[in-house]
Amino acid sequence: MREITLSKAVNEAIAEEMRRDPTVFLMGEDVAEAGTPFKVLAGLVDEFGTERVIDTPISEPGFVGMAVGAALTGSRPIVDLMFGDFIFLVMDQLCNQAAKACYMSGGKLNVPMVLRTNLGATRRSAAQHSQSLHALVAHIPGLKVAMPSSAYEAKGLMKTAIRDNNPVVIFEDKLMYQDKAPVPEGEYLIPFGKANIKREGTDITLIGVSSMVQVAEKAADLLAKDGISAEVIDPRTIVPLDEETILASVRKTSRAIVIDEGHQSYGITGEIASRITEKAFYHLDAPVLRMGAMDVPVPFSPALEDLTVPTPEAVADRARAAVRGELFHAA
Amino acid sequence: MAAKAAAKTGTTPKGPKGNAEDYLRMYRQMVRIRAFEDQANQLYLSAKMPGLTHMYSGQEAVAVGICEALTDADKITSTHRGHGHCVAKGADFKAMFCELLGKAEGYCRGKGGSMHIADQSHGNLGANAIVGGSMGIATGAALSAKLRGTDEVTVCFFGDGATAQGLWYEVMNMAALWKLPVIYACENNGYSEYTKTAEIAAGSLTARAEAFGIEAHKVDGQDVLAVNELTQKLVERARKGEGPFFIELATYRYHGHHVGDINREYYRAKDEESEWKSTRDPILNFGKWLTEQGVVTEDDLATINAEVKTDAEAAVAYAEAAAYPPESEVDMHVYVDSPELDAALRGQAA
Amino acid sequence: MPHEVIMPALGMAQDSGVLVAWLKAPGDPVKAGDALMEVETDKATMEVEAAHDGYLTDLCATEGEAVPVGNVVAMISETPEGSGTPAPAADDTPAAAAPAADALPEGRQIIMPALGMAQDSALIVGWSVAPGDKVGVDDVLLEVETDKSTMEVPAGHDGYLAAVLAAEGEDVPVGEVIAIISDTKPDAPVQRSRADTPVPAPSDKAETPAKEAPAASASAPPKPSPKPAPIAAAGDRILASPKARFLAAQEGLDLARLVAHGVPQPFHVSDLDTLRALPTDAPGAAAAPAATAAAQRITADLPADAFAAFTAWLADEGVSGDAALASFAAAALRGASGTEGAVAVDRPGSDPVVFAPQPGQPMGALAPADAAPALVLRDLRRTAIRSMALGAEAVPVPSLTTDGDRLCLTLEGRLHPAHAIAMIDAIAARLTDPLRHIL
Repeated sequence: MREITLSKAVNEAIAEEMRRDPTVFLMGEDVAEAGTPFKVLAGLVDEFGTERVIDTPISEPGFVGMAVGAALTGSRPIVDLMFGDFIFLVMDQLCNQAAKACYMSGGKLNVPMVLRTNLGATRRSAAQHSQSLHALVAHIPGLKVAMPSSAYEAKGLMKTAIRDNNPVVIFEDKLMYQDKAPVPEGEYLIPFGKANIKREGTDITLIGVSSMVQVAEKAADLLAKDGISAEVIDPRTIVPLDEETILASVRKTSRAIVIDEGHQSYGITGEIASRITEKAFYHLDAPVLRMGAMDVPVPFSPALEDLTVPTPEAVADRARAAVRGELFHAA
Repeated sequence: MAAKAAAKTGTTPKGPKGNAEDYLRMYRQMVRIRAFEDQANQLYLSAKMPGLTHMYSGQEAVAVGICEALTDADKITSTHRGHGHCVAKGADFKAMFCELLGKAEGYCRGKGGSMHIADQSHGNLGANAIVGGSMGIATGAALSAKLRGTDEVTVCFFGDGATAQGLWYEVMNMAALWKLPVIYACENNGYSEYTKTAEIAAGSLTARAEAFGIEAHKVDGQDVLAVNELTQKLVERARKGEGPFFIELATYRYHGHHVGDINREYYRAKDEESEWKSTRDPILNFGKWLTEQGVVTEDDLATINAEVKTDAEAAVAYAEAAAYPPESEVDMHVYVDSPELDAALRGQAA
Repeated sequence: MPHEVIMPALGMAQDSGVLVAWLKAPGDPVKAGDALMEVETDKATMEVEAAHDGYLTDLCATEGEAVPVGNVVAMISETPEGSGTPAPAADDTPAAAAPAADALPEGRQIIMPALGMAQDSALIVGWSVAPGDKVGVDDVLLEVETDKSTMEVPAGHDGYLAAVLAAEGEDVPVGEVIAIISDTKPDAPVQRSRADTPVPAPSDKAETPAKEAPAASASAPPKPSPKPAPIAAAGDRILASPKARFLAAQEGLDLARLVAHGVPQPFHVSDLDTLRALPTDAPGAAAAPAATAAAQRITADLPADAFAAFTAWLADEGVSGDAALASFAAAALRGASGTEGAVAVDRPGSDPVVFAPQPGQPMGALAPADAAPALVLRDLRRTAIRSMALGAEAVPVPSLTTDGDRLCLTLEGRLHPAHAIAMIDAIAARLTDPLRHIL
């Protein structure tokens, strides 16, 4: 099977859907000629023209609001938000308008739009360009949230997102754009709400979100050297979340660690860990752990930034402690 | 009340007697709005209405004058003070009162309420509880109309207070850049909640639009004919791709900011209110004009008024007796289905 | 001053170097820039220079050793003696087991149990048994003080206090070995305090039958050090993982028995293996006769001549043969199961005669005693009976029969299998070679 970069996978997905459905269009900053600063969308304007690949001014609330209006009236916009950090700017249009239009109208209105943005630190981009904010939107009923972990997921999830009749926010890891993975030539969609078991194991379940799937896999390799067999799960979408696959895994292994690049506190890891503890309680032989980014704004200095995100070594350490029954605290 | 003509061709008023049907419809629509608001106000005062609402009484000519220049395919976005736009764009009393009372037969199955009332079949994309919250939506609807190759026009209603929201400038910029078929209609009723407009808006409102190269107009918002005539012209030009446009309509709201804002002398003089009500009332003045022009008699007007009042009362009674949505609906409508996507996924799995 | 000399990083992607040779001896003066040692990487052999002036001391890596980059290999000190104590070795030496560990008696390790909430050590108030003394399963072994109160700790095993490894007044971490109870009376009981020598980490090396769980050891799976201090129960509350609790409930296991055995909490699924292996009666009961349900019957066959000659000789000395039999039987019983007790010699046609031999007491000094026997030796040599299966009685009954020039010893009882075997074997050995056993 051919291997292509995550960037190319996203490009292919959008191009295929735009060919398939003339109501799909793209808007955002520098999406046309430049193909965005990450070059992911390069070439699309050549095929689809500036009518369907629209460069916007630096007006995030404005063009996200316009995407909502366009989606309400027969179009299917894909909005490009250059950095996930800018999601704070668009929260009203995304969470008060897009997320709620369907419910507030009793199901009579719907917003088939995709907000495409990114996450991920360790790029030396400092605090306002390095955040992983998917927890914020996962918290809002009415949105769906997809977290591709490789080129394969990026293409399949993007196509599904575009065809979904509801607002979808899709976060790509900006550090992974040049990472290759096997991607089929033919047409395929990845359903939302279906997790992927990337590797089977018996001693502990590692649930990784987005690029943390790669971290979990490397941790599993380290653990294998110590004779510890880790199962690695990629949820693929956090809203909807495939709980059942995760729970079945934990019932088998009796231990779990949830790994995410959002902040440790009040985020994704707490949510998933809590569901595991609640629904697989009597199968647990160790506390359910969560590992997120440190609760600090992302520092600039390379000496500091890399300390703030989960690493395979850190995950393996915690996993060993869990398996060996060393995780206890004063009662 | 008879359904509005399906595809209005946007004719210019030919003369006093030439468009009696149109005029009478305009009159009736304004009376309907006033009657609706009176009933809604009573529902609140008698503690029968959950939550708050915002009265449109006094601004009827704005909504009617503009909406009478639009078809069902044209879109509007509304505000928290949205009952007038909703009625003017063709909504039904019963479904509106049901929505205000949170009943299942409401336009939004009781899930939106007054501040989020929407009527999709008539092109009303909804009231919005966020000030300026609809401006992006309206502009996007206009973008979509252009992308889909239609001649639909979108009117964005907002108040003078919303001109303080940054979103308006962002979308005016894009609307102007891309020549979108959207008309920004600013209902300047002199007050931004409890503060005079002059104290919250520096400079001129029309100059704001003109700064983006958008053609701006001012009109007496209490004169339904003037509003309608201007709107018809601008809509026709917008359909040809000459948009966007901006209209500042000078108008007045008789009630407080919301139904509970009753003791409001501290920010608005009673004299001023009675002045507007007596000399500038759009319904009274249009009625006077119609009788002076010989289109109708005063008795005719009285008949219309009585009919509408009866309709309204009956609709209220209906809504009060109507059922609430079943509890099972509380977690419905968060998402819609995507049947084509599901079929494609099933086909893939097979 | 002083400065560490480390194994430097000498190549890309290289994480250790081999110390080929020291170029200076310990105590030698060095100046900055002098070559201290030769080091080999996968690419080449290089000299490593001193970075400071001083004396080369505290060498802790040897020639030929591979040392990880960054590890300290020596010091440059102000004096030729350096710090006086060698720095920790760079590469792994076997984990420092107590040098005296091999000198400890064999037996069951007794650990400092977990006794209170959030308590990870306890103070020894006093030992209630002296080293070398016999101790019973329910006897108080020592008194221990927690932050809440003073508590008595039972021995948990029958046996002899063969070693005391912590002294009165010492604070001992929960889980550490504080004593050893052996099956046989120790020749040289050990008495130490913690301050003397490092205490051995609890191990599985207790000389117990495989069937019994070594109650003194910590949870079974190998734990790398350093291990977090185990926590203790809050009064009645037992801390266990949900799965351990669930499985215990399913199997009808009582987690409280793990507490009584001093297994550190919180309990995990792996601790249930320990729990399952515990004897089914009271916790800590060892060598219970009830451990085997059915009656035993063991026979031994031996030549008759030695004992016959011996008894003849005793008779000349005026010592009864019965005293010899009793003495041998008592010694065998003591040696096999640690039980100290009187022995009755029973013969058809006469009343049993009871002797209470003390360890080391000469047979000649043995006189009939008035005591309840712990064992009855049935002498059937003057009968025609060759074998029997009478069933177990209240006490173990070895019977002696003859068959031509052979003696046959049959034991019927309910001893622990190992004890039964040991005892019969011991009696048989004494009957076979009596002189050797009294000398």
